[in-house]
Amino acid sequence: MKKIICMLISVLMALELVSCGSANKTAGKAFKPSLDKNTKCQINVAGGYDNFEALEAEFDRFNEFYPNVELTYTKIDDYNNMIGTVLNGKDAPDIYVNYNWMYGRDKYKSSIDHAENLADKSLGLDLSCIRSNILLKTDDGALPMVPIFSNTYGMLVNDDLFKKEGIKVPTTYKELVEACKAFRDKGYKNPMMGFSKGETTSLFTLSIYPYLFESVAKDKEAVKKLNSLDPSAGEYLRPSLEKIKQFMNDGCVDVKNCDEIKNNYDAVILRFFEGDVPMMTASGDTVSGTEKRKSRSEAYIASPFNFSFVPIPMSDEGATFVDMSNLQFSVNKDSSNLKMANEFMRFLITSAELSNMAQKKGLMSPTKDLSFNSMYAAFGNVPDSRILSPEEIGLSDDALLQMRLAVYKVGTGAMTIDEAVAGYGSFSK
Amino acid sequence: MKKTLIIIVNVIIIAAILSFVVIYSGYASKDSYRRQITNFENTAVSMEKVTANFLEGEQRVCDVWARYINNKSMTMAEAADYIRSSHVLSNTSAHVVYLDTLKGLSTRPRQGTADDYEVSYERVDLLKSLKLDDEIGRSVQITRAYTNPMNGEQSLAFCNTVVLKDQDSQTLKNAILMRIIPISELEQKWIFAQTELVNAELSMIDADGDYILKGPSFKNSNFFEFYKSYNQTDPESTKQLSEKITASTGSITMLNSHGQECILAFTPVDATSGWTMLAFVPANDLNVDKQNWLLFGVVSAGLLILFLIDMFHVLFLNKRLQTTAREAESANKAKTDFLSTMSHDIRTPMNAIIGLTTIAEKNLGDVESTEESLRKISLASNHLLTLINDILDISKVESGKLKLSPLTFSIVETVENLVNISQPMIKEKNLEFSFHINQMEKEYLYADQLRLNQIYINILSNAVKYTEPGGKISVDMLEEKSSVSGCIRLVYKVADTGIGMSPDFLETMYQPFSRQVDSRVNSIQGTGLGLAITKQMVELMGGTIDCISEQGKGTTFTVTLDIPVADRQREDMKLDPVDVLIVDDDEVMLKTAADTLESLGASTEQARSGLEALGMIEHRHLSGKDYDVIIVDWKMPEIDGTETISRIRSEIDTKVPILLISAYDWSDIEEKAKEAGANGFVSKPLFRSTLYDKINDLIGKESVSIEPEDDYSDLAGLRILVAEDIDINWEIVSAMLEMFGITAERAENGRDCVEKMREAKEGQYELIFMDIQMPEMNGIDATRAIRKLENPWASSIPIIAMTADAFSENVTECLNAGMNGHIAKPIDIKLVIREIRRIREERKQS
Repeated sequence: MKKIICMLISVLMALELVSCGSANKTAGKAFKPSLDKNTKCQINVAGGYDNFEALEAEFDRFNEFYPNVELTYTKIDDYNNMIGTVLNGKDAPDIYVNYNWMYGRDKYKSSIDHAENLADKSLGLDLSCIRSNILLKTDDGALPMVPIFSNTYGMLVNDDLFKKEGIKVPTTYKELVEACKAFRDKGYKNPMMGFSKGETTSLFTLSIYPYLFESVAKDKEAVKKLNSLDPSAGEYLRPSLEKIKQFMNDGCVDVKNCDEIKNNYDAVILRFFEGDVPMMTASGDTVSGTEKRKSRSEAYIASPFNFSFVPIPMSDEGATFVDMSNLQFSVNKDSSNLKMANEFMRFLITSAELSNMAQKKGLMSPTKDLSFNSMYAAFGNVPDSRILSPEEIGLSDDALLQMRLAVYKVGTGAMTIDEAVAGYGSFSK
Repeated sequence: MKKTLIIIVNVIIIAAILSFVVIYSGYASKDSYRRQITNFENTAVSMEKVTANFLEGEQRVCDVWARYINNKSMTMAEAADYIRSSHVLSNTSAHVVYLDTLKGLSTRPRQGTADDYEVSYERVDLLKSLKLDDEIGRSVQITRAYTNPMNGEQSLAFCNTVVLKDQDSQTLKNAILMRIIPISELEQKWIFAQTELVNAELSMIDADGDYILKGPSFKNSNFFEFYKSYNQTDPESTKQLSEKITASTGSITMLNSHGQECILAFTPVDATSGWTMLAFVPANDLNVDKQNWLLFGVVSAGLLILFLIDMFHVLFLNKRLQTTAREAESANKAKTDFLSTMSHDIRTPMNAIIGLTTIAEKNLGDVESTEESLRKISLASNHLLTLINDILDISKVESGKLKLSPLTFSIVETVENLVNISQPMIKEKNLEFSFHINQMEKEYLYADQLRLNQIYINILSNAVKYTEPGGKISVDMLEEKSSVSGCIRLVYKVADTGIGMSPDFLETMYQPFSRQVDSRVNSIQGTGLGLAITKQMVELMGGTIDCISEQGKGTTFTVTLDIPVADRQREDMKLDPVDVLIVDDDEVMLKTAADTLESLGASTEQARSGLEALGMIEHRHLSGKDYDVIIVDWKMPEIDGTETISRIRSEIDTKVPILLISAYDWSDIEEKAKEAGANGFVSKPLFRSTLYDKINDLIGKESVSIEPEDDYSDLAGLRILVAEDIDINWEIVSAMLEMFGITAERAENGRDCVEKMREAKEGQYELIFMDIQMPEMNGIDATRAIRKLENPWASSIPIIAMTADAFSENVTECLNAGMNGHIAKPIDIKLVIREIRRIREERKQS
């Protein structure tokens, strides 16, 4: 008996040693510190988020390698306008949030000018883990920022309802219309909903954007004209406007009911959590708020359900994945702790760490592998040919605003298609 | 079972002590931990006071400005100018902002400009939610940390509402005065002063839990969100925690973002409205558990060591007790065996004595038979006496009371005695025997002759005993130089071809009562005490005894003793010039005899056989130069000694004196040798003095002798008083003494003896032989009484105990009572005579 116990203990100890060994091996494979582990310094990351717990969790993980490095996140008030000032001031951060739309705008010149070229191979960043269409370099080949999160448009799907009613989650426009009809036939008043009170991330924008991008993606002339806000470019919008009209006519959405959703974030989520809406259009940003709002929804607490985020199939060829960068990080090239800032970036820019952080934040990971987070897994199944990035297409923000407003006005019935086509370039918020 | 019980009890005690240590140290640790937490809370409170003082001080500056601006009814530009001229700190600034437009002026220009003082808080979510007290100086009013729109620095602002005059409309407008201090400035001042709290951090939160100031370990923008993220809680508990932290002073335990247990101390900042000071430190920094584990470890190790030492000590004691018990048992068994052996060994000669006495009584008419019986009785008696003497000796040896009595003696006599004693046995067993001496220069030595004899006889008799018939025994005696001054080193070596001893027995052979277990040995009589006594005696005399033995091949004992040389020696032994022929087949014998004779002044020639001797003698005879003396060994090959002598006498017709030498008992061949023509006999070994005396006898010259031989004339007429109550004993002793011309007078008991001495005339008795156990008065009391007599002669008369009480304590008792010596019964008349002579010699010397 004693012999057996001794043998069992020995086996357990051996297993423990093996598991410890393998754990260390995995950690070592993921990241190997290149600086003195006892380095003592402070690294400050600046951004516009009030909270950035996902990043703070990465700080803790980084501290496992560099315990004496004090990493802090600082929220900058009025971030977009202040980051330039902050970068030139006494509290200049070592790493800061940046956006690619700041390229070429004098107001944000500092934010680009202070950024280190992260494409420099000597930094050792594993950029290959990030989807190339959101990894945007400047004309001279420099990479001032790398995406930390990405964003897309799609719809939240109540998987339990689909399962319960025996309806398949749609992957083509035809299936979408059929699914909506099936739900309606089963007594669901709102098979599909979305925010409709404002044009920003309205259900119309979220639904038609992929379709619209697809229609102009390969037409450089169209892009050029659209960017020039030439009224004649409005014709390029017509197919999309007709599609949104058809979408509204096909009875998938009751705009009147959608108008009850007060905003494009909390209200969208809480309405979805009521549990009676099979599909709810949302942006990736909105999806990131679902986790924290579970506890705020009495309906969801009472009847929780499984849900996921899928692309909206507005074409019979299938859904299009609009891939956009969300939050990007730059390293302040004037940082007093530049080596350690780069070391942190080297630690962070890996498929595992970026996925961890995106999952914790509830946003889509910028990595090629989207399987880490089941919420966004459906986007990973979209073929490469149907993945589009506005930055890649080259549409300017101004053009996108015109398109967004045109779609919104047609969707809400405020304008006819012809009026919207003719009004391109003249729309304002 | 008992051992297991003891171990269990010990383990229980150890476990109980360790449990106590753990409980106590745990309690002490917790107590210490509680004290540390209390100290930490107090530190937080102290920091709150310091913070409050600082905030109030800064607020007062802002208050002074606000009062002045309000009193002077300034425009914004004037207010900005006033403040710009008032504050001197380079790292601070002030903003004056209209509450309606959230626009205003800064006292310092925008970053990167020299004259742009305009500031806007439109896009900073700060002032709209700020609730300000209209009454200046009533409370500290501070914003949260925010980004200063003029320079991008994270800052705090102390605020007051002011009323400004609008320059354009000349109307009064509410504005907010902000005294702005960079957070970096505060952080440098806002740290724990105590060195032991290096990991402690401070934060300040508002009533909602949003950070005003945030330490690095505090995550999220809201403390309670941070708490919820890393600690198990529910909405109700979070609410209670929020109320507790924001409304009281105290501490809680919580996990930080690393999952590490931390202590959070909190206390309201009195100077503010609803702000709370938070102090945060890892629990390990306050905990002293490690010391307790050290204590536990030390106590555990100590108890374990004690336990092991005790256990091993007990085991050692047990083992020793077992060994002692085994030894005692073994000793007891040995003594039982010994007594059994003794019983057997005593009964055997006793049986012979009693049986032969009966036979002798019945055959009184048959003189030959009676003599044979008496001879055998004598032999049995002697053996019995040897047994008893051995018992006495071993008793003395064991009690450590064996004392030596050194006397001047002749080693020649000792050896002769040794040979004489062993001869009968050697003859009986038909052993080949040789005795060589070498370089024996000194004849007279000073030692305990009795004990020396005993040593030599014991070893030789053992050799004889354990050598089977037909075997060989050789004795070598050698005189060497001694390292001890005045001594010679006497080496006595006895080698036999006997049964030998096993290696196991060699290890224990000197222990009392041990005898070799051997089928051949069991038939040999012995007490098992001989070697034990011999070794003790050798060691007592400062010598060594060595033994080499191999079973079946034989044994060699070597005794080496440093013996003092007696003062008296026969220094003048020189022969007249004589020619001596030595005839022997033994080369060693030839050489030693030749050396000895030549040292005496004789000329020697050697013949190695009788025939060779005959030729040499005839040659000398024919040349008219006869040898003066011929020495012939008895045992030789071809023709033995007697035949050689016979042929010398018959064939050569010479009158040369011939000595026959032999290592054997020559009594049997005496007649035959005399008939053959031998003139004298000498026993081997051939000592210098023996040869000297014998040759002088043969050539008609009287030798000088020191010791009288068989001359007891000095004892004639001696009167001795014998105190003896047993008639037969009296008869024996008186008869024996009478044989030497000594007159004995009897006292029948102690009292009679004392009376006789009291009445005796001076010189009436030479000495007293005193029995011990007697009626009326024993020998001890009688001796004491005699020693107390008034007559000096009587009280000092030598008294010799003559008793069957032969043990050492009996001897000691006798000597303590005042006696001068001790003779054990049965009495050996030779010892009695020697004792009488010793006493007389001592009295003469005194």
